Amino acid sequence: MHPTIFNLAVIGYICATGLALAYLVQREELIYRLADLATLAGWALHTLALVVLGVESGRPPLGSLPQAISMAVWVIVLLAMWAERQYGVKVLGAFVLPIVVLLSLKVAAGRPLGEITPTLRNAWIWVHIALALVGIAAFVLNFVGALMYLLQDWSLKHKRTGTFYYRLPSLATLDRLTYRTLALGFPFLTTGLILGALWAGSAWGSVFAFDPLALFSFLAWAIYAATLAGRAAAGWSGRRAAYFALVGFAALALTLGAGLFFPGRHGS
Amino acid sequence: MPLFVAGINHRTAPVAVREQLAVEEDKLRELLRDVQATGVTGELVILSTCNRVEVYGVADAPGEARAVAFRHLCRHRGVAEASLEPMLYVHVEADAVRHAFRVAASLDSMMIGEPQILGQMKDAFAVAQACETVGPTLHVLFTQAFNVAKRVRTETEIGRHAVSVSFAAVELAKKIFDGLGGRAVLLVGAGKMSELAAKHLVEQGAYPIYVTNRTWARAQELARALSGTPVPWDDLGPAMAGADIVITSTGAAGHVVTRGSVQQAMAGRRSRPLFFIDIAVPRDVEPSVGTLPGVYCYDIDDLRQVVDANIRERRREAQRAEALAEREVAKFLARLGDAEVVPTIVSLRERLETIRVAEVRKALARLPGAPPETREALEAVSTAIINKVLHAPITKLRESSRAGAGRSWTDVVSELFGLGRKP
Repeated sequence: MHPTIFNLAVIGYICATGLALAYLVQREELIYRLADLATLAGWALHTLALVVLGVESGRPPLGSLPQAISMAVWVIVLLAMWAERQYGVKVLGAFVLPIVVLLSLKVAAGRPLGEITPTLRNAWIWVHIALALVGIAAFVLNFVGALMYLLQDWSLKHKRTGTFYYRLPSLATLDRLTYRTLALGFPFLTTGLILGALWAGSAWGSVFAFDPLALFSFLAWAIYAATLAGRAAAGWSGRRAAYFALVGFAALALTLGAGLFFPGRHGS
Repeated sequence: MPLFVAGINHRTAPVAVREQLAVEEDKLRELLRDVQATGVTGELVILSTCNRVEVYGVADAPGEARAVAFRHLCRHRGVAEASLEPMLYVHVEADAVRHAFRVAASLDSMMIGEPQILGQMKDAFAVAQACETVGPTLHVLFTQAFNVAKRVRTETEIGRHAVSVSFAAVELAKKIFDGLGGRAVLLVGAGKMSELAAKHLVEQGAYPIYVTNRTWARAQELARALSGTPVPWDDLGPAMAGADIVITSTGAAGHVVTRGSVQQAMAGRRSRPLFFIDIAVPRDVEPSVGTLPGVYCYDIDDLRQVVDANIRERRREAQRAEALAEREVAKFLARLGDAEVVPTIVSLRERLETIRVAEVRKALARLPGAPPETREALEAVSTAIINKVLHAPITKLRESSRAGAGRSWTDVVSELFGLGRKP
């Protein structure tokens, strides 16, 4: 039941991606509305899939890394729909949805159910996963905001009045979006990591336990911490903040890559 | 009666002719009454702007109506009628509707998407209404043209992007700062275009305004005009540090704003962006300033290039607007077509209903004491018969009107059923 609904959701996301990219090229209000509708439909199906999964397995649908990524995708789409309305960035979908599709295809291709090991049966583990996921989702939007900022900055610097110049919002808006998502994601990631470390310490007797995912995620955390400090204390903004967002996201992507491709405690 | 539009515009007539022919409002009233008094037109609206003089009307003979209208116009304005002849265009029915929609939507304008034409058209319509030369046909036509114009404006970006250098500067500032409320503007030197750009920025909420000039008196004067603050020329550096947008237009031969001075100004700004609009020729701002982080520098050529790109963007949007207008024309004609056959359908129904009622009454007179069921049955059967008979001709009438041949079919139906001529 769950894989079928999830696959339908992925189809919705794929349609939405195509439409969002089309809207970038052809500014037709109808295309935007359809993209928005497809996103919403995909997300609704995704919600249903997660609920069904949760009910069938009798625990939060976060038991394996693919499931956790699926949940992260769900949060990303939710945040993207919010940011799109909040900041009036109608082309946001064209940047976020390809990432969404990439991640959800990875989930769909994975084994349907990797059961969590008995040692992990502890309420804190769910909180750790959930918080880290919301943080990661916020940082995906942070990355996309920074990417759009750099594209618009490039257009304005080099006086290229092309698609990006016309379609992307102002630098000020994009900077606000990246700052806001950074400020949103950071506390979640921080708490999630602390819980994970504490829990790992008590379960395995070591904080890192040579887990590649944990190592990379602390690296990403350090980069985001530096960016947030720079923004809040030294008044960083604009291009420098955007570059840091890209580097932070690269570390985060490595984290997920490590979790997906290298065996470690998280991969089980 | 057919709908027509006749006139000259910026494409068919040189400005010398257009300005000669343009009519002010009070003369327009006179002209409307004069033409209407001849009786060749049933309805009339005259649109006169600096780019077009057009007569919208309803007349049995559009050619004659056009001739009469322009004869009066030429006499009013003292223009030789014959010289006008090759510049005149006439559109009838569907083409007239299309023309009205395109003009209102600013698709026929010299600068595509300029917003004034809609207001001018509304004024012309109001004047004609006041002179009571507007009837049902032109009323629907103009109301619908205004709707189409509104749709084009909201659903396409035909009027969104700036097509003048000073507005292009404002548009760029908005791409950097988003809202301009509370953004400080510094004017370095004075010039018509920089003053205009500053005014546009102020209209968008930019505040405060600082003005500096080599001549202190000139700085004070301009500051007063823009309700800004004059700044001594020697304080240019600190003034830059406090500004968000700097407009330069001095007559200096060398660079007034150097890379070094901007670097200094940026030092204490915590990467707050700074936007230079350099309108001067030769340029006031050293070009390498634009490579500094957080600094955006546009000279007059850059601004012109933005304007050119915006015009191309408008043309692209215009194609979508044309498609939208074309769909509206089709819809409008379909509705108009139905309106054309509706009176015939109504009188056809009335005619048969009269016959039916009379025949039923006759039949009932021959059946005294018939039970109510018999009466009801008679009513029902006769109604069913005329409905069945009417179905095919009514369908045919509606179809033919949509295909544009409504008039010939209404004539046939009127003849066959003896409906009498329509008014």
